[in-house]
Amino acid sequence: MLQISNIDVYYGDIQALWDVSLRIGDGEIVAVLGSNGAGKSTVMKSISGLLKVRAGHIDFGNIRLDGLPAHHIVELGISMVPEGRRIFPQMSVLENLEVGASTNAARKTRQNTLEWIYEFFTPLKLRAKQKAGTLSGGEQQMLAIGRALMSVPKVLLIDEMSLGLSPIVVQELSGVIQGINKLRKLAVLLVEQDIELALSMASRGYIMENGRIVDQGDAKLMLCNPRIKETYLGIGAEEKAG
Amino acid sequence: MEFVLQTIANGLLAGALYGLVALGLGLLMGVMKFLNIAHGTFIILGGYLSFWLFNLWGIDPFLSIPLVMIAMFLIGLVFYRLALSPLLKLPDVGMRIDTSMLITFGLIWVLDNAMTMLWTPNVRTILTSYTGETFRFFGARFSFTGLCGVGIAVLVGLALYSVLSRTYFGKHLRAATQDAEAASLCGVNVQRVYLISTGIAIALAGVAGAVIVSSYSISASGGIGWLLIAFVVMVLAGEGNINAIIPAGLVYGLLEAGSVLIFGVPYRQAIALLVFVLVLMFKPQGLFAKRE
Ligand SMILES: Nc1ncnc2c1ncn2[C@@H]1O[C@H](COP(=O)(O)OP(=O)(O)OP(=O)(O)O)[C@@H](O)[C@H]1O
Ligand SMILES: [Mg+2]
Repeated sequence: MLQISNIDVYYGDIQALWDVSLRIGDGEIVAVLGSNGAGKSTVMKSISGLLKVRAGHIDFGNIRLDGLPAHHIVELGISMVPEGRRIFPQMSVLENLEVGASTNAARKTRQNTLEWIYEFFTPLKLRAKQKAGTLSGGEQQMLAIGRALMSVPKVLLIDEMSLGLSPIVVQELSGVIQGINKLRKLAVLLVEQDIELALSMASRGYIMENGRIVDQGDAKLMLCNPRIKETYLGIGAEEKAG
Repeated sequence: MEFVLQTIANGLLAGALYGLVALGLGLLMGVMKFLNIAHGTFIILGGYLSFWLFNLWGIDPFLSIPLVMIAMFLIGLVFYRLALSPLLKLPDVGMRIDTSMLITFGLIWVLDNAMTMLWTPNVRTILTSYTGETFRFFGARFSFTGLCGVGIAVLVGLALYSVLSRTYFGKHLRAATQDAEAASLCGVNVQRVYLISTGIAIALAGVAGAVIVSSYSISASGGIGWLLIAFVVMVLAGEGNINAIIPAGLVYGLLEAGSVLIFGVPYRQAIALLVFVLVLMFKPQGLFAKRE
């Protein structure tokens, strides 16, 4: 349903993506993997309208996304959890969630959405009045995901969900994402450094290197592929040790 | 004793106005990082509109405030489209502050001259049937127009506070202030929030001008003096701390009245600048900054 076709993306004059193509089907979880600076976040920002696409195009159903402003893309049903969470620290948890429901459609169902998000993320309900900046890292990530869900998206883009969080919290969050994916037919695009986690959640995976897609395939097969394990899990292990 | 009470009264009356004068400046700076050097000049423009409504149609200056606000709001929209929105393309926030200063500095000359042509360089004020009337409380005298000014400052301050804390627009505005990109990812049309905020900021300048022309007087080139006051109050409140601006204005008004009592009127402006420098040196985050 979301199709990226041969896009080139630049930061100023510096090219960051070359001829990137990627597809997310209805209700599918897809992982994008790659080392630091490979261009994963750039792909996300291109979909969500934060970056302009110089060549190629991005289509959602039969609507062309590239060129639309970011707030319009949210309205169409694509929501992003940005790298580093980017919650509004001076606003309460509830206010953060309310801002997440800014589009007209989302406002109408706001109370309903809030209730099921609170069910998945109970800490958010308990801390609704608290300033978001005072939440723990895991709670902030919950809030960032909850806020993105408040717009009732059909596709959720999550950039580096696991970064800086304990394994237990990561387990919990990924469980919730999989739950929402099943219950609400929510398609998810995951960008992760934690390759094992991402591939175990996803049905398909893409691998990026230097702004290009270099490999793609079935997630389970990739997880068993010794070459991918060697190249990427190796890097991951080194970083964790260092 | 009576002298001290009168000083406090004067300080409160002036201080409420100072807070009102700073609201629009603080809003533009806090939300968008635009430093509007022409803020005082917009205040004067609002004062002239009020003056005009009174002289041509005899509309009371306090009753005409909604009309002045609407007119100034529309002027603010044009101001945003022509002068400010192009600056959003600049790569960083520091450049945005610098460039907005240069552009609005130029705008002062344009507006000053336009207003001189329209309303002559004469000093203008509004004389109503109640101008000059005073009340006595606890031995201190309050002017009626001054009290109206306080009432309006408090009312406008509270209205702004509830818009910012309660309405969807207010939440969008605060979100955009904290992280504009993240706000746009939530579906907030950040450009639209900026447009409307600028309209509100200029409308607030208009209210201040209307109050000034009915309690004091205005002249076409008097904007710089009010800009200075607005600037000091904004720094006292702490950048981005819009709810602290009216209280900061009151603090500044009391400080000023006290210093006039002790050092005499000629040092009024010097005290303002001294307070400004001291706050920047010792508490650059403002007097009202919340502890984290
Ligand atoms: N704002 C920017 N201006 C200029 N270049 C940028 C900018 N953001 C990213 N880049 C460059 O684009 C390339 C891809 O960056 P991107 O952030 O997409 O990588 P990533 O795969 O998300 O990396 P990480 O795993 O570290 O998050 C990098 O070479 C980076 O230096
Ligand atoms: Mg990244």
